[in-house]
Amino acid sequence: MRRALPSMAAILAGTLLQVSIAPQIAIGGTVPNLLLLVTVTVALVEGSRAGAIGGFAAGLVFDLLGTGPVGAMAFVLALIGHLAGSLQEQMFAEGWRLPVSVVALASLLSEVAYWLVLWVNGAAPPFLATLSQVIVPSALYNGALALLVYPWLARLLRRERPVRTFSRLA
Amino acid sequence: MKLPQSDRTVGNAGVLAILLVAAIVLMTMSAREGEQGMLHRTRKALQAATAPIASVGTWISTPVRAVTDWAGGLSVSRSEVDELQTQNEELRQRVAELEEARLENERLRTLVGFTEARKLEALGARVIARPTSSWESVIVIDRGTADGVEPGMPVLAPQGLLGQTVEVTEHSAKVRLIVDQRSGVAGMVQSTRAEGIVRGSVEGGLDMEYVSRETTVVAGDIVLTSGMGGVYPKGLLIGEVSKVDLPENALFSIIEVRPSARLQGVEEVIVLVGATSTADVGDGE
Repeated sequence: MRRALPSMAAILAGTLLQVSIAPQIAIGGTVPNLLLLVTVTVALVEGSRAGAIGGFAAGLVFDLLGTGPVGAMAFVLALIGHLAGSLQEQMFAEGWRLPVSVVALASLLSEVAYWLVLWVNGAAPPFLATLSQVIVPSALYNGALALLVYPWLARLLRRERPVRTFSRLA
Repeated sequence: MKLPQSDRTVGNAGVLAILLVAAIVLMTMSAREGEQGMLHRTRKALQAATAPIASVGTWISTPVRAVTDWAGGLSVSRSEVDELQTQNEELRQRVAELEEARLENERLRTLVGFTEARKLEALGARVIARPTSSWESVIVIDRGTADGVEPGMPVLAPQGLLGQTVEVTEHSAKVRLIVDQRSGVAGMVQSTRAEGIVRGSVEGGLDMEYVSRETTVVAGDIVLTSGMGGVYPKGLLIGEVSKVDLPENALFSIIEVRPSARLQGVEEVIVLVGATSTADVGDGE
């Protein structure tokens, strides 16, 4: 339980920032998904179980903040958290380039998966328009923000195992 | 005791399976339950709890935006600006406040005039939160059930129709903008009276559907609410036709509409509390 506290705190902080800051730093209607960044970081640091549980919780909060189907983003982020977490033990380098690339890829996958979930629910917008207007811009923006968020958040979550190469960024 | 790798993998997959099933159950519940269902009530409680936090974000960003606008308009050297800034800081602050009050006054006068001309019962509101996701165009205003706001009420910006209230708590309400892809408004072209459904699109614009290709619609035509369906009063300005396509074998024209209301950065709105409150024609929920 004590081990889960930093991850829970990160999700809570991510929620507060998603509500207060994310809408203010939107670029051309693209709002960054800070809860996705938190989920992937938790997963890469703590593993797939924590990633899936954290992703489910973060996604549920994201769903409840919006007006879309409740459970859609919870489904997506639980899956993304699990997949990203399964990479934890395969991470051969403790630098920042690989994790940041994983965050950017996870962002792309999560947006596509969210569209699929909406499609199954009968609430999806046309795919090609969504790809160019939402999915790709969001993935790029989230990937860019990961450069700022990941090194610091990973460092906070992994206090007992400091990573030297993070000092280049964080 | 530490589990072997394979057992942990199976355990993790089991946890994931449980979570995915839970998410599917939640999606089903969300689709089936009514306004008083558990998930809707939880969503409203979260909206009520986060509204003050969201308004703090808006409040913090307002001076940053003002400074950005101000810096963007500078055409003198930095040193001169610094000198002037020191000398005139207090005066400029006062002028900025007065200018802000004048602009707000102007916007509110426009809003009040708009509703008075149509004899609609209106309630002024401030925008306290902007969309938290790229997937939807929903803002939050600082009026709720305590002020007489209910789900389904039309919301206007000074330039025209902005959207409709969808989820209302005691002191706040979510407004789905007309450009949201789940939004739909019964509209008509002012010049020809051709009727259709104006839907939001993921590109952030509006498409007018179901307008017969035999009706002549040209770029620049004004689009108003038609009043059909009883959701929006007739005659509210939606936008202006920006593009018309007539595919060879299609039954209907493809009409793009540019919204009149300034959707980005809108600060004050009016809720038509006297208008009918039912879900709009595009609500997919």
